[in-house]
Order: sequence, then structure tokens, then C-alpha cells
Amino acid sequence: MTAAALGKSRIFPLFLGLGTLVAAILLIEILIRIGAINRFIVPMPSEIAESIPRVIVEENVPARFWLTIKEAFWASILVTVVGVGLGALLHRVQLLRLATETWIAALASAPTVLMYPLFLVIFGRNAITIVMMGFVAGLPPVILKTIEGLAGTRRVLVNVGRSFKLTQTQMFWKILFPAAMPTIFVGVRLGLIFALINIVGVEFLINFGGLGQLINELAERYDLAGTYAAICFVILVSVIVFEITERIERWLRPAG
Amino acid sequence: MAETGRLTRSRSAALTMGPVTLLRVAIIVAIVVVWEATARSGLLYRDVVPSLVVIGRAVVGQVLEREFYWHLGWTGVEIGGALVIGGLSGLIVGLVLGGSRLLSSSFESFLYYLGPTPKIIFFPVMIMWFGVGPSSKAALGTISCFFPIALSTAAGMRQIDEILIRVGKSFRANTWQMVTKIYLPAMRHPIINGVRLGLGVAIIGTLLAETKLSNRGIGFLIINSYSTFDMPRMYALLIILFVLAIGANALVSRLGGIENIRRN
Amino acid sequence: MPAATARSERSGAAVAAAKPILVVEEVTKRFESEDGILTAVDHLSLDVAPGEFLAVIGPSGCGKSTLFNVIGGLTDGYEGRITVAGETVSGPHPSIGMVFQEESTFPWRTVIENVSFPLEIAGMAKQERFERARHFVSLVGLNGFERRYPAELSGGMRQRVSLARSLASEPKILLMDEPFASLDEQTRLLLGDKVLQIQQELKQTTLLITHNITEAVQMADRVLVMTYRPGRVKRMVKIDLPRPRTSEIVGSEAFGRYVAQIWSDLREEASRGMREDESRALHAPEHKK
Repeated sequence: MTAAALGKSRIFPLFLGLGTLVAAILLIEILIRIGAINRFIVPMPSEIAESIPRVIVEENVPARFWLTIKEAFWASILVTVVGVGLGALLHRVQLLRLATETWIAALASAPTVLMYPLFLVIFGRNAITIVMMGFVAGLPPVILKTIEGLAGTRRVLVNVGRSFKLTQTQMFWKILFPAAMPTIFVGVRLGLIFALINIVGVEFLINFGGLGQLINELAERYDLAGTYAAICFVILVSVIVFEITERIERWLRPAG
Repeated sequence: MAETGRLTRSRSAALTMGPVTLLRVAIIVAIVVVWEATARSGLLYRDVVPSLVVIGRAVVGQVLEREFYWHLGWTGVEIGGALVIGGLSGLIVGLVLGGSRLLSSSFESFLYYLGPTPKIIFFPVMIMWFGVGPSSKAALGTISCFFPIALSTAAGMRQIDEILIRVGKSFRANTWQMVTKIYLPAMRHPIINGVRLGLGVAIIGTLLAETKLSNRGIGFLIINSYSTFDMPRMYALLIILFVLAIGANALVSRLGGIENIRRN
Repeated sequence: MPAATARSERSGAAVAAAKPILVVEEVTKRFESEDGILTAVDHLSLDVAPGEFLAVIGPSGCGKSTLFNVIGGLTDGYEGRITVAGETVSGPHPSIGMVFQEESTFPWRTVIENVSFPLEIAGMAKQERFERARHFVSLVGLNGFERRYPAELSGGMRQRVSLARSLASEPKILLMDEPFASLDEQTRLLLGDKVLQIQQELKQTTLLITHNITEAVQMADRVLVMTYRPGRVKRMVKIDLPRPRTSEIVGSEAFGRYVAQIWSDLREEASRGMREDESRALHAPEHKK
């Protein structure tokens, strides 16, 4: 009974969650200090915290951050334009949709990021490879969700459009697209998250670019605290992107 | 849609190919022709787009090679280990979070936030903890598949039709019986979906780790074909990998069972 | 006072000679709600003799479902006492088999697996429990559907699966909460006949909770009419209609008299309930835009 009541309160779970996190960090700190955990495998949380300003200045984190953001920006532009465009095309030409939708769904479940060595050969070890990897990974959900959104437009809305004798183009921009917008954004958000995961991942793997490369370099230098700090930084970035896009999604939802 | 495709294909023997099948064949033919023309024209650097004949030969070469199966076996062991450890812990964490409103509102947001981070960045840490061998790859696969399985189990548990729980209680099922005979079967769809997603990311996590630092596994073979610039072999490996991954994904989806075909 | 009414009404009934198998004594159940404490069931008493069919009827919101959950042991924190065959009950009891109003078959189990569920819980071996379950499947007239999944059956058939599942545990008391509520009228009547036939065949002690007068009069030996919130006993009506009964009895004159009598009680309660609901809606704060 009391647990249920506490679950309903807003402050207590937040307190419990953060409190547990802080307690866990403190516990790790103590375990390392008394030697229960090898400090050459896990650095002390206090060391990680100390290393953050050093890493930010010495490793030029703002510039790296900016580079990753730029890559993510171009990948998401590509993903959105190409994905929504292809989705709309497949919705318009039903035969094409019937022929290829299962292929796209299958592609979505394939580990496409493993193609990065191939992209390295084609585009070279540069930002284009990274942007293209993000693009390839983010494309399928955008196409699939666009089709789903457009096909899910309520029949009566289409009939309203018909009663006003809208042209095909007007029908798309005035009725179908706005009605499908919340669903399309779900796809775009997924695509953006997939793109970002792959961008940082490929940066790490090919040792080029922004935040991913930072982790790789620090790890290769065996800068333990720095590596952990950089990982925390990447987690922070994904939390921010995740949170912002979720807010937009929630804001769009009632419009459907 | 898949139904249409399947039906028309089965009738294609009678030479009554549906328009969908015709279009599919046309698309494949077009891709093959364009690819082969590009390969033979020499417009691009020779090996970037190798002839399909060469790629086909490389696929056959891989499949017939004994060593390939040794590498496939190691990758399989790593992914299997990842699924067992990550899947079971994900399932348990999901059940605990799904069963308690307090715990879910306190801790589930951590999972939501860590879920969409690129797991490969933890690889340096995994190497420090578990060494450069297969266990660090399995560990990366484990943390990859833990999140989707835990999150969909927790969500699935909250979606269970409450009446089914009351039925179980009315027949005085004990806790173990409630879990095995009511909760888990009632959650089979979200759990299977979680396993499907988890398998996908476990494959990615494990193989990416293999490409970064390893001397065995399919990921190693792929990055090895890159460093020796053996493009047909790289294409062949990617094709085989995609076929296996898509097949495994479809297999897990099929596990949903017969009774959901006409569910309500 | 309500208990006294129930007791005195019962005198003279043939079934009353036997010692009651289910006794509900002075049960009160309160809930915390937004506008204070709500008493759903208030000092309600009833008893059911072995082999008897008792129907509990009342307007919606009279605490029928609360009573069902209390007797079935799915709700605790109530005052009063419930005894089955002289033994005080707390929590779900093997002597009580529950049939729920909602669709409650397990979609992942075939008909036979659904029906054998209580036997499985009790730890019976597979072959034996399937054999026993098959008997109850045929009792509800679902022979040939043993290997089907609920999704392949109609709503009426699924409800028969739930009934067979409860009967399979061979309960001393069958407790049903509006088991026909989600079915269409024809299915409801036919299924009612089926239940009645089974009840007579097994001499099954049954407690049916319903809001449907026809159903109650058609099936029960006695009908307990409940008041609108808080749920108390308003009247106990003994139904002296010949058995075996079928849905055809609905046309008879005696039947009509019982229905009219119960309706006049129920009407008072239902309209009181409606007025209270309306005034509550009127005074409730407006929804924020």
C-alpha cells in the first residue's frame, strides 16, 4: 500500500532514482579506495570528475562536439528528405509499395552499420563516410513510418478533401501530409537516433571526426579517467537529443 | 502485403505472375544490369563495384571454406552468450520494473536514456574488464541487447489484461505458477519483440567489436577483407551476414505462435 | 435488519432444510474515493443452501461486483465474515469457482488447455487432467473444439470455455458475475439454458450476480434484490416456478408476476441511483480545457 502511494508521488521516485545513482557512485569510489576494485581498470569517480575540465580543454571537445553535430545535421536532413520523399512515392504508387515494403522492412533488421568498411573504400576516411553511414541506418524507419502515416489518414478527411475538389497535390499537402505528420515524426525521430548512434559509433571505429574519435584516442593513450569522462559526455549528448526529440514528438501527437 | 507476394509466387508456376511479382523481378533485373554495366564499364575504380559473377564466386567460396565456419562459430558463441546473459537479466529487470510502479518511476528513465546511446563506445571499457578475447565482444553484445529486452518486458507487463491475473488468483496459483503460466505467456508478444530487437543490436554490437579488435569472427573477416582490399570477399561476407541476420530476425518473429493470427 | 429479512423469507423453502454451504455475514466494504469514503456493500448477509441457485440482482453501482470479489476472495479489507461449509474463508478458496464478466480465456491456450488450467495448478498429470477437462468441455457442448484457440471461437463459445474452466475445478460453489453481459440477446438466452441444464445435472450450488431480471427469475430458486449504494439487502424473493426450466418459461404468467414484483423494487433503486449520479455530475468540477 505505501509502496503504491509512493509510486504515485512525483518527487519520491526522482529522489530514489538519483539517490541510488549517487549512492552507487559513492560505493564504487569507496570500493576502489579500499582496493576491492582495481583502480587501473575502473578509475575513481572523483578522478573522472577531475579529468572532465582537462579533457574539454586539451582535447578540444567543443570543436569535436560541433563536428559531430554537423555530421548528425546533414545525415538527418538526408534521412528526412529522402525518407519522407520515398515514403510518399511508395504511398502514391501502391504497386511499388507492395513490391518493396517487405524489402525495406527486412533491410531495417539488417546490420547495415557493418558496411562501414565498404563505405570507407567508396568515400574514403572522411566525414562523408560518417554522414552516409548515419543516413543508411536512419532511412528505413523514416520510409516505413511515412507510408504508415499517409496510409493511416482517416478516410473521412480524404473525403472532405474530395468534396472540396482538391487536386492531387493539394490533397497531399493540405490533408494527407498534415494528418500523417505525427507518425512521420516518430519515424524521423527514430531515424535521427539511429543516425546519431551510427555516426558516433563509426567515428569511434574509423578513428575520425568528433566525439567517437575522442573516446578511441583517449582509450588508445590508456587515459582511463579521460575515456570514462568522454563516455559520460557521449551519454549526456544522447540523453539531450533523446529528450528534445521526445518533447517534439509529444507536442505533435495531439495534432493527429 | 507479404501474403500477396507469397500467394502469387506459389502460383507463378502456372505462368500467372501477379503485377507485384513482375515488378519485383523487373527491379532486381534493373539493379543487376546497372551494377554489371558499371562493373564492366571501368568508370569506377575496378574493385569498388566488382562484377556480380565475381561476387557470386566469392559467396560460394566463403560458404565452401572450412575456416569460415570456424569464424561463424565464434561469432555465434559470442552472440549466443550475449543473448543468454543480456536476455535473462533484461527479462528479470523488466519483470521487476513492470511489477512495481515505484521502481519503474524511479529507475526506468535510466534505461530509456541509456537505451539509445551507441554501445560500441563502451568497447574500450569492455576490453579493460574482459580482455581482448571473445568475452569482451560477448559483453558488448550483452549490454546492447539488455536494454530493448528489459524495456519491452516492463512495458509488456503493464499491458497484461488484468482479468487474466484475477483468473489465476481465483484458482489460487502460487507466485511461480502466476509467473510461468500467466505473466510470461500473457507477455509473449512484447517479449518476443524485445528479443527480436535485442538480437538485432546484439549482432551489431558483437560484430562491430570484432571489426575493432579481434582475431576471429565474421566481423574480423570483414575488416580483414578491407585491410587486404579484397572487395569481392567483403561483399560476399556482407551478403551472407545480411541473409543470416534477416533470417534470424524473421525466425524470432515467427515464434509468436498460431493463436495471434486471428486475434480479435 | 436486512439479514433478518433474508432469513425469514427463506423459511419454508425446501432447500432451507439443508445446512447452508455458503454464508455471508454482515459484510461491509468501503473504498476511498475522491469525494470521501464510499461504502459499496453495507452489512450484507446471505446464505446459499447446497444445490441451490441464488441470484443477486441490483442496479448498476450497487456494489454487486464488489460483493463478487469479496466472496471470491479477490478483495480484502472488508468487515464481516464469509464461511464455506462452516470454514471461514480469506483469499481465493478452492471451493469457489469464479466465472468473470469480462473475456477471461487465456488466448495462448487451446480450449482443452484453458479448461484444464485449474487441474494443472493443482499439479495433476497432463493425461489425467486432459481426460477430466474433456468431460467438462463436452458438458458445455464444445466437443470437437478442444484444439482450437479462443480467437477462433465466438464470444458465447469463449464464455462457455470460462464456465467449463471453473467447473473443472469441481467447486462447491459456482460464483458468476454477469457472465452473459457481453453477449447478444439470443446467445444470452441459449447460454442461460445451458447453464441451467448443467446446474441441475451437477446439482451445482450457484450464486449468480446479474442486473438482468429475466435472467435472474428464469434461473434462480431465490432472488436477492440489492439497494443502490450502499449495497444492502432490499428483499429476498423466492421463485416458485417448476423445474426443469428453459427460456420458454419467460412467456408464462407467473413469470411475469415475479418480474413485475422485482422490477418495482429495482425501479426505485435504479432511479435513485440515476438521480444521485446526475446530481454528482452536476456538482462535479468542470473539466479543464
